[in-house]
Amino acid sequence: MTEEGLLDAERRRFNRLALAPCLIVLFLIAGLPAIYLIVVSFTPFQLTEPGSATDFSSPLRNYQLLPGDPRFVNSLWVQLKLSVWGVAFQVLLGMLLALLLNVPSRFVEFARTFFLIPMVLPPIVVAVIWKVLYTPDISPLYYAASLLHFSMPSLTSSVDFALISIIVADTWEWLPFTFLMVLAALQTIPEEFSEAALVDGANRLQIFWYVTLPFIAPILLISGMFRLIDSVKAFPLIFLLTSGGPGSVTEVTNYYAYLLAFDTNEIGYSSAVTVVMLLLVAAVSLGLVWMGSRREGFA
Amino acid sequence: MSEPSAKRAGVGRHVAIAVTLVVLLLPFLWLLQMSFKTNDQILQFPPPLIYTPTLSNYTSLWHSAFTDSFVNSLLSASFSTALALLLGVPAAYALSKWVGRGKHSLSFAILLTRMAPPIAFTIPFFLFYRWIGLLDTVTGLVLVYTSFNLPLVVWMMQPFFETVPPSLEEAALVDGARTHTIFTRIVLPMVAPGIAATAILCFLYAWNDFFFALILTRTNARTAPVAVVNFMNYEGWEWGKIAAGGSLVMAPVLIFSLAVRRYLVSGLTAGAVKG
Repeated sequence: MTEEGLLDAERRRFNRLALAPCLIVLFLIAGLPAIYLIVVSFTPFQLTEPGSATDFSSPLRNYQLLPGDPRFVNSLWVQLKLSVWGVAFQVLLGMLLALLLNVPSRFVEFARTFFLIPMVLPPIVVAVIWKVLYTPDISPLYYAASLLHFSMPSLTSSVDFALISIIVADTWEWLPFTFLMVLAALQTIPEEFSEAALVDGANRLQIFWYVTLPFIAPILLISGMFRLIDSVKAFPLIFLLTSGGPGSVTEVTNYYAYLLAFDTNEIGYSSAVTVVMLLLVAAVSLGLVWMGSRREGFA
Repeated sequence: MSEPSAKRAGVGRHVAIAVTLVVLLLPFLWLLQMSFKTNDQILQFPPPLIYTPTLSNYTSLWHSAFTDSFVNSLLSASFSTALALLLGVPAAYALSKWVGRGKHSLSFAILLTRMAPPIAFTIPFFLFYRWIGLLDTVTGLVLVYTSFNLPLVVWMMQPFFETVPPSLEEAALVDGARTHTIFTRIVLPMVAPGIAATAILCFLYAWNDFFFALILTRTNARTAPVAVVNFMNYEGWEWGKIAAGGSLVMAPVLIFSLAVRRYLVSGLTAGAVKG
């Protein structure tokens, strides 16, 4: 064997040693659980009935029940409403904020950091913050409303406002994310573009519409899809603010799956709900990867 | 890359930015100021503009079981970060040198572990832990947290390794150094800042977790975020303590995340786009 070959063999051996433990552990703590989740979804498993974990007599029963389960169908609707409105507000407001802060200034650069605070807070702390704001006795919001002789209904327990109150809190939390991504995109727009447009006599709105917007449109889409995927996880807010209520007005699929598994013990059925949710998330993720690979290194 | 030099920031825009910032941060600041008030002061409206801040909420937390849950949070977040780095950093190095076809499917797998709602992992972990007795243990939490931190490390570290000039490694090879020596002596020191940023992100993700800890712990391994919620459910509405607990949970996050804000986005978008 040549010296080159020896070196290559040594390098390959190192690579195997470096990769193997990581891949094995990943398989054990992420791959196996995913497989087991799918397996359980084929059983009528309930913790109180020991034999039910290995009962594969009618494997598709859970999945056949899903379309006829009004709470499941409702949870998909609630999720859709929460996701679409939340993402729309976050992308729109994030973009406006990025446009506002896209100026060269020491003060603005310093301020940018503080705009990120809502996003980095632990989600449960965000939920506590909004719990305070939505609790009439101690909320400055309700006090301000009373000063204006306006009596605000209890938002989180009202059929009309519960979902909106979750969307508001979720938008507050994740606005910084879309803001950061759009700002990064704005800063890559070559200055000549808008200068050329200015020379041609374009006004600010026209520059935004014909120069800036086409440039940041892909980022708006990508950041929106990221938020769409993550909006499925909005658990702490719902857990603390509304517990899915009133009724099932704010019961998203994720929360329904949680209640099924850890409140009513329907582990098998809950797994089926979760698998469906995973498939939806995977579909959106695939779209993201596809778009990401078309715009390699956008940031 | 160009700075928009043509347009200067006017006074009006500065004012608009300052006002937006204050409005946006008010909810956060409200919780913070609540933590220094007594329960009577919290219920008092109009809110007293001048009051003597009290640390009583914090001291009563210090003498309660909250301290234990804070320690649990620290332990589980630290150990899972260490484990994820130990396994993930060498793997990321090997992958950064790899130009095979499997790379795309691997990045999709990594993306999926990040995108999957926590409940997808919670159900299998819960059943498994119940069976082998890892429920309500810090070890159990460390394993779960590693399931999302390890993919994060593999993803975040690769670009850092790609910035190491190949000529450095080649020179060492010519001098007869072995691959593992090159890795530990030359490459690792060069990516130390990247490792630090990745470690902080891992720590934050584990620290911020609420869902796994809610399901997989009861009393022994309860983490700080779950403890804060328990104040509400079991100890009545002690808003002062709730606010103080929330402030303590967010303190390390605020300090650390400002240090890694450059990497926040690449951490959040791990798997789909190059950060």
